[in-house]
Amino acid sequence: MSKVAIDMPPKGGFSFDLCKRNDMLVKNGLKMPSFLKTGTTIVGLIFQDGVILGADTRATEGPIVADKNCEKIHYIAPNIYCCGAGTAADTEAVTDMISSQLTLHRYHTGRESRVVTALSLLKSHLFNYQGHVSAALVLGGVDITGPHLHTIYPHGSTDTLPYATMGSGSLAAMAIFESKYREGLTRDEGVELVAEAIRSGIFNDLGSGSNVDICVLTKGHKEYLRNHETPNPRTYVSEKGYSFSKKTEILLTKITPLVEKIEIIEGGDAMEE
Amino acid sequence: MGDSQYSFSLTTFSPSGKLVQIEHALTAVGSGQTSLGIKASNGVVIATEKKLPSILVDEASVQKIQILTPNIGVVYSGMGPDSRVLVRKSRKQAEQYHRLYKEPIPVTQLVRETAAVMQEFTQSGGVRPFGVSLLVAGYDDKGPQLYQVDPSGSYFSWKASAMGKNVSNAKTFLEKRYTDDMELDDAVHTAILTLKEGFEGQISGKNIEIGIISADKKFRVLTPSEIEDYLQEVE
Repeated sequence: MSKVAIDMPPKGGFSFDLCKRNDMLVKNGLKMPSFLKTGTTIVGLIFQDGVILGADTRATEGPIVADKNCEKIHYIAPNIYCCGAGTAADTEAVTDMISSQLTLHRYHTGRESRVVTALSLLKSHLFNYQGHVSAALVLGGVDITGPHLHTIYPHGSTDTLPYATMGSGSLAAMAIFESKYREGLTRDEGVELVAEAIRSGIFNDLGSGSNVDICVLTKGHKEYLRNHETPNPRTYVSEKGYSFSKKTEILLTKITPLVEKIEIIEGGDAMEE
Repeated sequence: MGDSQYSFSLTTFSPSGKLVQIEHALTAVGSGQTSLGIKASNGVVIATEKKLPSILVDEASVQKIQILTPNIGVVYSGMGPDSRVLVRKSRKQAEQYHRLYKEPIPVTQLVRETAAVMQEFTQSGGVRPFGVSLLVAGYDDKGPQLYQVDPSGSYFSWKASAMGKNVSNAKTFLEKRYTDDMELDDAVHTAILTLKEGFEGQISGKNIEIGIISADKKFRVLTPSEIEDYLQEVE
């Protein structure tokens, strides 16, 4: 069947055409640009009515804080949200893509999306890219079968847990969970526990910092608490302001007017065609 | 008729300048169940007959009016399975647009892309044109809009339109009844009355389908009980 050619994006997979050239450049002394990593603390827990997800808001580029208040809790479906750690671009692109696929799936089936569907789509995508898509995710949501919480690793393996942490601050946060988590927490207790775990990551891990974002998912209802806590406000701002002195000294100012150069032609004709 | 020699091949023009297959596709549409759409000042309504082949068919499982995006819906006249293919493609295109531009697709864009798909199937080898005409109803920043797309891939914006069986009577009725400042509720009543004109048998909430979109930009299909309420008001 010959179809009229439409602009189609190339089908799947990475194109490794430039790898040899990149290697050659590095050998010749080029410094490869680094990417934005989220070096994060992300957590999730299941409480009596549903799932609570939490995340810090610092995005790092090596030792520099690139974004002091980024959003790490991504929308997947009205009843499913996902926290992402790893390379920021990877987590955003992958969650965006799966969210799009789930929207189409919802239209075709006429039903609410299930968390396991999102899980399967995410893990098969990550497995296909053999860990090169550096996204470590905490996926949580409430669907017709109840509340669910999963962790997904960059290579595509998953865990199903009642409470989970990921990212560079995961050990600090897990310490809080392991000592204080119990089944049947109420909403307020759950939110407080999640906030405490994120705070633990913020203060004890360099890769995490700034504020606490929380998302509470229950049956048929979601609450996105952006900047639920801001334990790192900028406390001192000088009233006088800051004057930055000029580094260059002016020794001499000389103004040279540009002289118009007019040629006078004797006996010239008026403008000809 | 000289045309008949050219009627087998889709991609061959007849001497009179027509693509006979497309004419036949329009005939297929013309023998489909009546559907219509009306654009009001604050919304759009689309409606169709839902005549099932037998009383044994579970009418709750049949849905002719489909949603394409939260603010765009569609109804068809003609071959149901063909419309399913188009609905699927349109939904995907709308979602791809949204992923790329992070804004809901404007109604004109979606209509244009759907029409392009339909046109593709009139200029390729080994395929036949779609045997459906679509009425696309949407509400975006430009306000309420109603478009009709034909098997040839041509599309027009309408204030009110009808397709399928009984189209000429329905259009005459709509021409008489349409006013520019009509509100959505009046439009629904007019739609019901238009359907009633050519309806064989007793009209009820179970054998017609109505979809509306108002200024809240949320397309929805009315439930049978809501249709019954409107029917009562019309009586």
